[in-house]
Amino acid sequence: MRNDLRLARLLVAGSDRREWWRITLTAIGALLATGFALAAVVLGALRGHHPLGIAHGLFDNPGERQGVVISLLLLLVPVFGFLGQCARIGAVHRDRRLAGLRLAGATPAQVRRIAAVEAGLTCLAGSAVATVFSVLLLVLNWSVPSGYAWAGIAVVALGVPVAGMLVSVLALRRVVASPLGWVRRVRPQTRPGPLFLVALVLFTGVAAVAYVSMADHRGRGAVLSGPLLVFAVLLVTGAAALWLVGATARLTGRLLAARTGRPAVLIAAERLRDDPWAAARTHAAVLLVTAVATAFAGIRQVLLEVLDSQKHLGASRAFYTTGIDLTAVAIGVALVITLSGLAVGTAESLATRRRGLAAQVAAGVPRAVLGRALLLETALPLAPAVLLAGLGGMAVGTGYAALTDDGGSRSVPWAALLVPLAVYAACLLAAATSLPLLRRSVRPGELRYA
Amino acid sequence: MSTRHILLGLLAAGPSHGYDLKRRHDERFPQARPLAYGQVYTTLQRLVRDRLAEVDGTDADGGPERTLYRATEEGAAELARWSAEIAPPAPFVANEIFAKVVVAILAGGDPERYLREQRAAHMARMRDLTAVKTAPGADLSTVLSADYALTHLDADLRWMTTTAARLTSLTAEVDHR
Amino acid sequence: MTADNSTAPLLAARGLVKAHGRTEALRGVSVELAAGEILAVTGPSGSGKSTLLHCLAGIVRPDRGAITYGGERIDQLPEARLSELRRTEFGVVFQFGQLIPELTALDNVALPLLLAGRGRTEARASAGEWLERFGVRGQQELRPGELSGGQAQRVALARALVTGPEVVFADEPTGALDSLAGEQVMTALAHAARESGTSVLLITHDARIAAYADREVILRDGAEVAEGADAVEVSR
Repeated sequence: MRNDLRLARLLVAGSDRREWWRITLTAIGALLATGFALAAVVLGALRGHHPLGIAHGLFDNPGERQGVVISLLLLLVPVFGFLGQCARIGAVHRDRRLAGLRLAGATPAQVRRIAAVEAGLTCLAGSAVATVFSVLLLVLNWSVPSGYAWAGIAVVALGVPVAGMLVSVLALRRVVASPLGWVRRVRPQTRPGPLFLVALVLFTGVAAVAYVSMADHRGRGAVLSGPLLVFAVLLVTGAAALWLVGATARLTGRLLAARTGRPAVLIAAERLRDDPWAAARTHAAVLLVTAVATAFAGIRQVLLEVLDSQKHLGASRAFYTTGIDLTAVAIGVALVITLSGLAVGTAESLATRRRGLAAQVAAGVPRAVLGRALLLETALPLAPAVLLAGLGGMAVGTGYAALTDDGGSRSVPWAALLVPLAVYAACLLAAATSLPLLRRSVRPGELRYA
Repeated sequence: MSTRHILLGLLAAGPSHGYDLKRRHDERFPQARPLAYGQVYTTLQRLVRDRLAEVDGTDADGGPERTLYRATEEGAAELARWSAEIAPPAPFVANEIFAKVVVAILAGGDPERYLREQRAAHMARMRDLTAVKTAPGADLSTVLSADYALTHLDADLRWMTTTAARLTSLTAEVDHR
Repeated sequence: MTADNSTAPLLAARGLVKAHGRTEALRGVSVELAAGEILAVTGPSGSGKSTLLHCLAGIVRPDRGAITYGGERIDQLPEARLSELRRTEFGVVFQFGQLIPELTALDNVALPLLLAGRGRTEARASAGEWLERFGVRGQQELRPGELSGGQAQRVALARALVTGPEVVFADEPTGALDSLAGEQVMTALAHAARESGTSVLLITHDARIAAYADREVILRDGAEVAEGADAVEVSR
């Protein structure tokens, strides 16, 4: 074990800049995950009424608190998506390095341990930072955390690195199997597969159970807790949209590749046809956020109308609007994380192919064509999927409006339709952030052999 | 290279006379040194003497009279033995180029310049052979025999390249002794 | 076969100097390439062969020295113009990796024509003819990962020649192949170049491949050692 540690340390110390990017970004992801999970745990550990005196008393009562807890847990979804993208940075390089270790005589178990130690330490760094700051914040603002809270904090702080180790072992099962790794490029056969579906169903189930248990404490926040069930439903919409991305990516790829006369479209379309699930993996979180955000935009409009129409509220108006605003912030954070993941993914795809891209440029393919191809790779499969996710979210929003309609006073929340458009534009912008990288990575130096 | 065995091999196809054998030899081995008619004639006589071949009669065919030869059973056996025999892989290292380099060092000449020019001559010959083998309509025999020569010239070239890179050490060694 | 010195060369470099960081890859190299000539540049690893090709093909700019193509200086052209030159007048073949892995062999070859604004059908038709010529028509729907090394290089040759370039730059085009596949690729390149009168600048460390050229320039430590003298007295 000591030797494994030493090897892992040596390998990391000798890594190139890209490896450090991966480590830094992974640590940031682990930090976010720990932060959200800690907040959820600490709030969840509270029992009964606690006048915390923040956010207009939104966190004071169990009902609303549980809503917040679930929102925080849902925020973990985009964080996981982001971590998935980070893991892909330098994946080819890392796979080759580990395969090299196998060639040099390391057993599969050793390679697995080395990779696990590496991932675990990275996640531990992120989780440690998050834990230290969270505990400081907690102790300064809240004098006596309960024993439950302490236990929860410990579990999360250690659980995140352990989860990171497990995931890295799982992800490396193919590399570890063969000392030659993937020497020759074969057609990728990777699909999200049943594993992903199971994970999604599980997650939805958890959300549903959480909702049911929360229903026992139904209090003033009933109006707010309604949307949480909707979020669970949205997860299913997201799953459907995910499958749709894969299918449409393949279809658009095939249709366009057969017909287009434009080089940029041809390159993008063939890349889609070659590996449609790569797009699906990248865009899963985007679709979820789109669906959730669109639905929320609709629900928010309805809620505000309800608030405006009711004369006698159970609490101050600010209590409700703060809840709505907090949800909006949560969705905004999710969107930012997702977009970061997308940007990281695009940059990674570029970095992996930089040698081939340099050869294209050497052959006189203008950089503009390559840049357009890069953007189209994001834009093409995302368009139908975002549209569908938007429509799904819109349906939920409109349905909610119809449900709460008590006399024709509700209007259809059309403004929510702007959300998928905005998300789509933001995605293109996120993908475009890697265009400067295209210029930098396409250097003639990449053309040199060994 | 055993001319008698090559002639025996050509006779294996059936009775043939001297001129025909020469023509077929030059055709089969396009890049080899062409066979002189006199050499064909004396070799055939030795084959007859050793009972590996015998006279099969004469063939006038309108022109001058020609003696037809054919292989005997002994000849066929000898041919089979020879063609299955392993050629000794470079028994002696006799290398004119190396000798010239060493002599140039001993006599205070310019071995580097010599190697450079020898290399250029080798390259010129390799270009000729490449042109021969890539000419449209070149048959496989031509390609293979040119390839054989090219491979040997290439080996010389590689040797010259490594030698040129180590001339300083070689000069020190030769002068020291 | 050899270049006629009385006419101006198609491509010429004078006193090229190029450094990668602190190592000088080229220290004042001058070469000329005549129209229709196949020129081999040989030399040991690290002698600056690839850097010379990159400079001549307008892929990198030399630190000092001048490059003329068709009598005009090209070393100072803006990148967009250089890129266009590489696309229309030049073709490049590397040891491997120049094909786009996601495109079929046919689309890879059609790509330069599409970039030149030709229609898809027309581009694919000419691409098919070139694949036919190099004996890889049967593999046209395969992707680079599914081709053998020799097939992939012939597809790369087709791609380099499909636009009818004036000069093809080939950097160790047979470096990753066994000798028979290498000879086949080289024969295909030499034939195609001679037929269309295309000049070829061929980088190789293999004398048998260099023998396909009309002339040889030897580099060592970033400078030319000798133009392999054509007229040497051979005692026979």
